[in-house]
Amino acid sequence: MNNKHIACGIVALFIVLLVQLTLWVQGNRTKVQSEASAAQDAETAANLQLTKERGQLGDLRRQSTDLIEFLRIWQPYFTTIDNPQSAEVNLSMLIKEANLVNLAQRFEQTPVKGNASIPNTMRATLTFEDDYARLLNWLGDLEVKMPTVRTSSARLSKGTRANDLRMEIILEQPLLSK
Amino acid sequence: MQITERQIDDFKSDRKDITPPLPVVLRLVPLLFYCSIAVAVILSSIFAIQFQFAVQKRDNHKTMTASLGAQTQDTRSQRTALEAQIKKATDIQNWVASSRPLQPLLLAITRSMGPRSSIVDLRLDRETDNPSQIKMNLSMGTDSTKQLDLTVEKIAALNYRAFSPTQTLGRGELDYKATLVHQDPLGRQNEEAPR
Repeated sequence: MNNKHIACGIVALFIVLLVQLTLWVQGNRTKVQSEASAAQDAETAANLQLTKERGQLGDLRRQSTDLIEFLRIWQPYFTTIDNPQSAEVNLSMLIKEANLVNLAQRFEQTPVKGNASIPNTMRATLTFEDDYARLLNWLGDLEVKMPTVRTSSARLSKGTRANDLRMEIILEQPLLSK
Repeated sequence: MQITERQIDDFKSDRKDITPPLPVVLRLVPLLFYCSIAVAVILSSIFAIQFQFAVQKRDNHKTMTASLGAQTQDTRSQRTALEAQIKKATDIQNWVASSRPLQPLLLAITRSMGPRSSIVDLRLDRETDNPSQIKMNLSMGTDSTKQLDLTVEKIAALNYRAFSPTQTLGRGELDYKATLVHQDPLGRQNEEAPR
């Protein structure tokens, strides 16, 4: 082997290095192109997911329009009285204003089953003995003024005087969860 | 000045062993080297340009995917909030539906009493598990069942339907028990706004 052979070998080595360099650049390009393709697939999937989610939200909105409108109308009535103290004071005031003969009254907070939004109520157990018309009118007014109040129980029996009525009622004021 | 022949000979060394020329195939190696430089430069330039485009495309897709993901998350949050609203509305609707005023019912029953009849005891209790159902327990002082028919008619006029009714008549007193359920004549839910 002479100098010319050695020079040829070195030049051939350079050729191999150039080929390797070109292949390395091509490999990098292919790798990034694959990543771009994967990113495009991911974008398509994300777009489909968004379309699906928006569709479901739109369907849910359409289906619940009446319920949401119902909530919009009724919620203010429920939020007016949202704690046991104000419920008790409010009911006591209504009884006092009516000036009825109130024989007994008891207030207690009771849990509500199967209603997560209204976990508790302020239950008032009231006993009156007064004029028939006054008692029933008062109850009617109360149920109109406080539409959220539920009359859980009502018992009517004869009073001690001719026109009197004995009325035992249980009223429940819902306390909305905060 | 003249240089002598002997002095010129001193500058030239004798070349006895000249290396033999390379074979023809190996003579192509330098040519191949120049060609490979040209091809490598051209191809690498093309690959580099394509690389740049691919990087830009990949980054754009990634940015877009992130944006879509954020929008999806936002839509999900809106859906969760709406579901919570629906749950709340359903709970409130259930409460309102089972809180129909009892006073009109009491009034209808008391007003239905004829001149020869009277209420001894009237009791309306909402069932604990299903408050929209009302247990009615009526004791009347009457001597005929016609009064009961009239009272039941008045109750039905308020769109209450009586289930499992039982009646006991004895010694001038009539006991009537039934479970009352309100039924909307148009089959609607309780949607009317409070007055």
